[in-house]
Amino acid sequence: MMTRLLHAPIRASAFLGKEIFSILRQPRLILTLALGPFLILALFGLGFRNNGKPFRALFVAPTSSPLAQQVQAFGSSLGPQLIFLGITEDEAAARLRLQRGEADLVIVVAPDALTAVRSGQQAVLTVYHNELDPIQAGYVDYASQIYTAEVNRRVVVAIVAAVQRQALDVQSQLAAAQGSAQGVQTALHAGDVKAARQHQAELTQNMSAVELGLGASLGLLNGVEQGLGQPAADGQSPALLTLLTQIRQGTQSLNGIPDTPGSNSVQEQTAGNVAHSIWQLNGSLAQFTSIPPEVLVSPFRSLAIAVSGATLRVTDFYAPAVLALLLQHLAVTFGALSMVGERQTGTVELFRVSPVTPAEVLIGKYASYMLFGGLVSALLVLLLRFVLGVPMLGNWFNLVGVIALELFASLSVGFVISLLAQSDSQAVQFAMLALLAGVLFSGFFIALYYFIPAVRVISYLLPVTYGVQLLQSVMLRGAAPSPSLMAGLLVIGLLLFIVAWFQTAWLMARR
Amino acid sequence: MDIGETQPVPAVRPSPRAQPARTAGTGPSDVVIQARDLTKTFGTESAVRELNLDVPRGTIFGLIGPSGCGKTTTVRLMTGVLLPTSGQIQVLGVSPRHFSGQTRRQLGYMPQQFVLYPNLSVWENLNFSASLYGLGFNRGRRLKELLEFVELYPHRNKLARAVSGGMQRRLALAAALTHDPSMLFLDEPTAGIDPVLRRKFWTYFQNLKARGRTLVITTQYVGEAEFCDQVGVMAGGRLLVVDTPNGLRWRAFGGEMVDLQAAQPVDPITLADLHALPYVARVQFLNDRTVRLIVSDAGTVVPALVEWAKLRNWPIRSVEKYMPPLDDAFVELVKAVPNDD
Repeated sequence: MMTRLLHAPIRASAFLGKEIFSILRQPRLILTLALGPFLILALFGLGFRNNGKPFRALFVAPTSSPLAQQVQAFGSSLGPQLIFLGITEDEAAARLRLQRGEADLVIVVAPDALTAVRSGQQAVLTVYHNELDPIQAGYVDYASQIYTAEVNRRVVVAIVAAVQRQALDVQSQLAAAQGSAQGVQTALHAGDVKAARQHQAELTQNMSAVELGLGASLGLLNGVEQGLGQPAADGQSPALLTLLTQIRQGTQSLNGIPDTPGSNSVQEQTAGNVAHSIWQLNGSLAQFTSIPPEVLVSPFRSLAIAVSGATLRVTDFYAPAVLALLLQHLAVTFGALSMVGERQTGTVELFRVSPVTPAEVLIGKYASYMLFGGLVSALLVLLLRFVLGVPMLGNWFNLVGVIALELFASLSVGFVISLLAQSDSQAVQFAMLALLAGVLFSGFFIALYYFIPAVRVISYLLPVTYGVQLLQSVMLRGAAPSPSLMAGLLVIGLLLFIVAWFQTAWLMARR
Repeated sequence: MDIGETQPVPAVRPSPRAQPARTAGTGPSDVVIQARDLTKTFGTESAVRELNLDVPRGTIFGLIGPSGCGKTTTVRLMTGVLLPTSGQIQVLGVSPRHFSGQTRRQLGYMPQQFVLYPNLSVWENLNFSASLYGLGFNRGRRLKELLEFVELYPHRNKLARAVSGGMQRRLALAAALTHDPSMLFLDEPTAGIDPVLRRKFWTYFQNLKARGRTLVITTQYVGEAEFCDQVGVMAGGRLLVVDTPNGLRWRAFGGEMVDLQAAQPVDPITLADLHALPYVARVQFLNDRTVRLIVSDAGTVVPALVEWAKLRNWPIRSVEKYMPPLDDAFVELVKAVPNDD
């Protein structure tokens, strides 16, 4: 009885041994499978530049206008991604150079930019390109927007700088006004009404000049404060408005200084308050003028910090995805060729006569490919981890579990293909289709959210889709594998195993 | 032939019907393969037509016939690789449709084509076959014996694709024998094998038979049918006849053959007298001194002829039984089949 119980595993082991020996007969295959992806990934890491394509830009603008200088200044300083080729007035010639491939972009600056702006319209920077690749074309569009935004920012920086220079003039007038207010206070204290009235007149004059020069600075400061979330009243900054109102009211109340000395203690106090408010306003303006115009124009900057704690290179990011794709391709290909091979060599005829069952055939083959796939994965993971330095932040047992499940599901896909294909070449074609689908739909290169839900169904029929997410999660986030994704792989593997089982039984059935 | 005593000579008997044929002394319980009106068609093509036969346990049953006559299909029907279109077949008392694992373990099968793995070594292929039948892992000695028998042991580490076609046939035979089956189906096991090894194979097959094994063997070497207990001759999908090798000769030529060589040219009168003898069915003139007589039983006719010549004072050089090659018998049998296609 025990001997009979051993028959089934022995028969399954026939296929385990046979497949392993067959694979070991092909050392080049092993090298290709393990070292190939590693070398490709290493080369990718070494050769990949995480920069967009630098554009050689030719500008079209009236060379005699002052705008040309600005264009040249902007064109030469927008960063390494924009290579300034020059300025020309001849748009047709510039576009011809674009068609010849001598330039990547032709940027036509509207000759009447100032007129357009004065009339309340945006001036247009027309960007011509010759890209066929829609992704590159999109990148040109994106880069154009970025560069235009940068140009706009620089224009605003220049305006703000001009306002700040104006504010410096106002500061000196404020200092004079402060001196006048203090003069009023001192004169009143000394009972010198005449001198007080003279200082009051100077104060009124100085404040008129200040109010004239302060408008732009006040508006700008007000805008900045509102932009940063400071509550506004009547569209004005409350602090500055309060100061200005206090100064204005104080200055007005000093108009009526009585002739009687000693009865001006209120005015004396008011003059002191005005002087203090002017001092405060001057302080605010000093603060405003000390702020770099770039900060005023762009008060925010971004700082992205990954909570995973790992600083990833592009190679690191793609390594788990490459591993997942390789696992699927390896298992699908082995599975796809497996039963086709049996059918072509005619060994199925032997199986039909022998006591071996379809389940034993499948289990033996699954075991051999799982073992081999596991060995290749182990080798590749070690190379990625210790040669390329790809992070492995998660639990190694989780990694083994993910790899085993992806291999199982992919083998099931391969076996179903194998039993549908009529020849080696058909099986390979099907396997290549699975690879292509894996590259496009698994999130390997293009994130899944770019696809409509109906296409995402295809994504989730592919084991690699689960593999990419799970391996990235385990290796790069150090997280435990998502139970739902693991269950997805298990369901695909089991369902297709059952299909493959029926197909194998049909293949081995007598006719 | 020594001149001996005259024995009673039987008259020429009619050809026996041989379907379904059994070896003498075997009863129905000893029949391990039984086919009745077995037919297999592929589309409109009939590969096997209304085949009837019984194969007794512990015998060698040979199937001979021209290429494409249905031998391989018949073997495939017996092993359960194919299912019949109509008719019935039972092997070891079970329809191949319902073979259990236990029944299958009693079958050994060597297909006509080499169906093992070219990328595995000779040893690995044999090991695979042994595992397929659930042999325990202490199988090494058995495999070694088999490889030594088929003279492949020195080549055990060579890849199957790297050995000759003959070696591949020998490997396939060894693979069919790994689990020591009680029934062996060998489809042209000696094709591409040198004559010396072929003889060795047949000796081994007879040893297996002596150990109670039953063998069904197809061959295109008609002469090999000599080693079979029963031979089925197939043509056009039909089993023309099943008989012993001698029975086939008898059927082909209408009796046994005796060659008589005279010391002087055979004159027409003597020839007529020979033809008139009751135990002579037919006389063939081979040359001026030699005639071949078709008789019912060469064993009794030879001394009777010697006696007859002595009485006529007709000097003869020799009288001996002639065993025509089975190939000739096969050609005669197949020629006699009307073409009904």
